[in-house]
Amino acid sequence: MTSLAVEVRGLTKTYSGGVQAVREIDFDVRSGEVFGLLGPNGAGKSTTVGMLTGTVAPTAGSARLAGREVAGEPLEARRVSAVVFQEAVVDRPLTGRRNLEIHARLWGLGAGAAARRLREVVDAFGLREVIDRPVSSYSGGQRRRLELSRALLSEPQVLFLDEPTVGLDPLIRYELLDLIDGLRRRGEMTVVLTTHYLDEAERLCDRVAIMHAGRIVALDAPQALLRALGTEVLEVRVDGDPTATLTRLRAHGMATDDVFSLGGTLTIPLHGSSAEAAVLTINQIGLNTTELTTRRPTLDDVYLRLTGGRLAAA
Amino acid sequence: MVTIATPASRPTASRPLAPTSPRSARALSTLVRRRFALSVRTPRELLVPLLTPVLFALVIAPALADQVTNVGGIDYMSFVAIATVGLLLPLSCMSAGIGVLVDRESGARRDLIAAPLRRPLIVFGNLTVALAVSALQLAVLIGAAVLRGAQFSSGSTGIMWFVAASLGLVVIMYGAAETLANRIPTQEEYVAALPAVAIVPWFFAGSLFPVNALPAGLAAFAKVLPLTHVLAVMRYGLVDHRGTGLHDIWGMSSPTAMALLSLAVVAAYAVLLTVVAVRVFNRATVQ
Repeated sequence: MTSLAVEVRGLTKTYSGGVQAVREIDFDVRSGEVFGLLGPNGAGKSTTVGMLTGTVAPTAGSARLAGREVAGEPLEARRVSAVVFQEAVVDRPLTGRRNLEIHARLWGLGAGAAARRLREVVDAFGLREVIDRPVSSYSGGQRRRLELSRALLSEPQVLFLDEPTVGLDPLIRYELLDLIDGLRRRGEMTVVLTTHYLDEAERLCDRVAIMHAGRIVALDAPQALLRALGTEVLEVRVDGDPTATLTRLRAHGMATDDVFSLGGTLTIPLHGSSAEAAVLTINQIGLNTTELTTRRPTLDDVYLRLTGGRLAAA
Repeated sequence: MVTIATPASRPTASRPLAPTSPRSARALSTLVRRRFALSVRTPRELLVPLLTPVLFALVIAPALADQVTNVGGIDYMSFVAIATVGLLLPLSCMSAGIGVLVDRESGARRDLIAAPLRRPLIVFGNLTVALAVSALQLAVLIGAAVLRGAQFSSGSTGIMWFVAASLGLVVIMYGAAETLANRIPTQEEYVAALPAVAIVPWFFAGSLFPVNALPAGLAAFAKVLPLTHVLAVMRYGLVDHRGTGLHDIWGMSSPTAMALLSLAVVAAYAVLLTVVAVRVFNRATVQ
């Protein structure tokens, strides 16, 4: 039987002023799983991570990390977890080594264990050349690697990565994704990752929860969520009102309930029908289209179908 | 491209829990060493608060002493030397508050908050360093005042009164600094508020003249200020063995009893501001 690393029940956060950031969410994360919280800015991802790491007090509900109640046993819950924050959280005037040593001591590592772990993570993350320099002299990628290595020093059972690649240039971002992917393959640590980058979620996560307006609107493996849309979708760009076009498509039996639109674009899951047949039908109907495209469905499509909004960052 | 060279994996089920609970003392020691390392790398916190009091002790106090020979039988040079301590310690503690703001805005504070430690230890770690830095600065200032001619005559009991009052003032002012640093949104606004908190009370607290020289209303206000009590106890310990400053506050005949009362007031302020500082810190760190 697989144990649960994260258990969330009815977790709710209402900020002063009545803003409901998270609304009664429930989910479990199995040990060793990489779990993604996916959603646009304001969906409630960071608030959820804040409640799991004890920096946001829940209004209602409960959460457990490796069996420890976050609210009732905060020190125990924090001892088995670590966080990589969205923004840089380091002591820049201090050396990388000093930053790591402070973290190791605060997480209770003995001197010998701390020295051993420090050597391991410094080598693993390619920081040996810079570890004795002040962090203020690090590049953005080096600083991110330092933060990731710091979080791994204590060998946490649950690692939270809050938008770990946001604001990084593409090269550093892909380098970091490789590192996180390496953690995933090791499979000995549970990772809860928040992101609004769809490719990150698809590549890294065993399961994702898609959040919208503080609620979880879908939760499954990325491939399972994508399978619901079939293997291919047809994008139809139209002049004028897409609703009228949709009505005509439906009249010809082309579009089912999972068609969705954004602006002048209709996205039609094909569910095994051939794209050629769909295009032929559209031409026969005589729709006023400006562009027809077929492609693989993405998590963006899943989100759009569920919420009517676009997930990916503009 | 970076390759992760991983140590041998262990199965999840047999993996031990993360390391054992750090004791609070160990966590506090780590926090103190961290804060000290950050402060030492920022000479601003060590040197800037010293400038004005040392200038006062070396230049202004002697000039004033030329004009006013004594106050209530106390050599004015020595009277003002104690006042410079009442200027130094608030400035020093308020400067330490800037470190709290920097920590919050661009430092590692969030990682400390996520650590398995009791969060008020973060405040106490900062306070410990503020005490150490203040003690260092105090030694420099007293040394400068003695070199310029201030005369302190005291035994060990007098020194204890002085140390106790200094300690109380640092705790009070650091509590105020930590509170403001967690309430005020930007460093600019904090620096703007610094003179009002660190310097203005000094003018009312019997620093340059006895509080009874103030108009009645202001004298009453001065007696509520913790700094007034601190300066009176410090002077009682080092230069004013008859306790004239304490008598101005309490109007009693026993200097020791009055000093104890003033220390009690200082202690009450110290406890109050520390509790407030910890509460404000908790509110600032947990939404």
